[in-house]
Amino acid sequence: MTGYTTKMSFSRRTAQLLHEDHQATIIVIESLDQLIAKARKKAPDTNDLVVQKTLKNAGGAIEEEVSKHFAFEEDELFTRLEDMGDVGIGEHLREEHRALLPLGETVATMARDARENGFTDESWTQFRNAAAELIERMFAHIQKEEMALLPALEDLLDAETDMELSTAYADKH
Amino acid sequence: MNSAGSFLGGAKDRLLPASIPFRFFLSASLFHVLAWTVLFFAADEVARFRGGPGLTLAAIHLATLGVLAMTAIGASYQLLPVVTRRPLARDWPARLSFWLILPGVALMTYGMAESALTSMKTGAVLLGFGLAVFAVLTADNLRRAGSFPVVSAHGWLALVSLVAFVALGVLLIWDLESGFLNNHLSLAVVHMVLASFGFMGFLVLGLSLVLIPMFVLSRSLPDKPGWAQLSLTAMALAGHSCGILLGNMPLVWIALAAGLGAAGCYLWLMRKSLNSSMRKRLGLPFILIRASWGFLFLCLLLGGAVAGGADIPNAPVLTGFILLVGWLLTFLLGVLQRIMPFLASMHAAGKSGLPPLLSELTAEGPLKVHAICHFAALAACVGGLLLNLTLLLQIGAILGLIGAIAFAVFAVNVVLKLKRPK
Repeated sequence: MTGYTTKMSFSRRTAQLLHEDHQATIIVIESLDQLIAKARKKAPDTNDLVVQKTLKNAGGAIEEEVSKHFAFEEDELFTRLEDMGDVGIGEHLREEHRALLPLGETVATMARDARENGFTDESWTQFRNAAAELIERMFAHIQKEEMALLPALEDLLDAETDMELSTAYADKH
Repeated sequence: MNSAGSFLGGAKDRLLPASIPFRFFLSASLFHVLAWTVLFFAADEVARFRGGPGLTLAAIHLATLGVLAMTAIGASYQLLPVVTRRPLARDWPARLSFWLILPGVALMTYGMAESALTSMKTGAVLLGFGLAVFAVLTADNLRRAGSFPVVSAHGWLALVSLVAFVALGVLLIWDLESGFLNNHLSLAVVHMVLASFGFMGFLVLGLSLVLIPMFVLSRSLPDKPGWAQLSLTAMALAGHSCGILLGNMPLVWIALAAGLGAAGCYLWLMRKSLNSSMRKRLGLPFILIRASWGFLFLCLLLGGAVAGGADIPNAPVLTGFILLVGWLLTFLLGVLQRIMPFLASMHAAGKSGLPPLLSELTAEGPLKVHAICHFAALAACVGGLLLNLTLLLQIGAILGLIGAIAFAVFAVNVVLKLKRPK
């Protein structure tokens, strides 16, 4: 069988790489979610190693990995979808990228600042609100891409293009 | 048309205009309220129900066709093109099917409640045509399916079951007038089993293979158990139908064993999905969804008790109630409260023109009220059936009604937020 199976594996390498990115992002976002759920309104101790690691991962993953992932999708995949007449899917996911990127940068900046200076009650509240929105948006966004974008790559990319794109994408990581 | 609108509404798009699935979902919410209301007035006759027109039959069909089928059809129209990677051939037949099914259900259930044969027949004909349009549109999409063969196969068998249960339903209604069938009760049992375990069951089992992993962001689901659940369900349905119609009890027992096997495969797959979930907090919908899986097993065990002649008060009605309300209704309402905000987020715009948050589109309060009332209603109605207490059944129906109203508030709230700000 070709294509997307219930095994969440893809015959296109590009789709598989993006899926692996999603998995990595989910781990970061989930740990951020756990941090917020555990600490609630009380600012966590940023000297705690788990908190340090979560904040570090959140900053790095969101600023670097996610922005590369989004840029690749927008430059290489949505354009190809549009060429095939499937204009809307790229537009909708672009809209979500536009919401996610600045939010991710804000959370990353706050996380960096907190690692250096700790949280005050006020900065924790701001961080918690921004991170909660990022978590919610990111989960929904990944679900949409897993359901509607990655399977579509099976039809969108031929083997040669898939190899070119996936190699180029892997080299950027 | 705005960009998101063109994404969802164009002929080449795999996702439909919001108005198509949401009209089914809103109608399901309305029929949900009506089903509990009619059950309240039928409370003194429910325990004795053995078929035939009346308020109980009307309540059953408001729940099955009005809530379960409406939800399943709306969800299938929206989800199958995404799963199969093929858009629906046309949008308008989906709308047409709704305008046949909606009055069909209303007229037929009114006829059942009032023992009015003309209304029942007219409703059944409208409904039959509406379901036929759904079947043709879905069959065309499945025929062109580019992926998920195991899910597509579930879809095909759901359609086969649909044709069979609709044909039997029409026969049963016409038989009320002329009495040409000499095995009306047996055919009614087969009709109910094909509708619930066949049509609804195959859709629930098949779409769960895609939806549950997506909801929980799980890593892997093997295909083989999916094929096993499909084969065992098909064997169970064929065996049960033949066993009931031929009066062959060993066949019924084999069918029940196959049904338990199918449920075992399904729950194994769902457990595997949950165990590999990357999302830890799954929220209220999964309390309903998990509970529904327990009710699936319970209704199969009760079915065995009925077949074995166990001394359980009102066991046939109890089994039907656990099947329809415990398993299917609980499952679908859990899924619906998850997918409605999710789908709406693709159509609506939030503050600053950015896509809205799912939490902005949902209504936690009404959903909590619904969940509490739904489970309390289930407990009260089961108690009422076991103890033969009409008052307890009435309390259960009132609790169910409050829950249904709360769910309708949630559904209307989602739809109101679909409108993009100017």
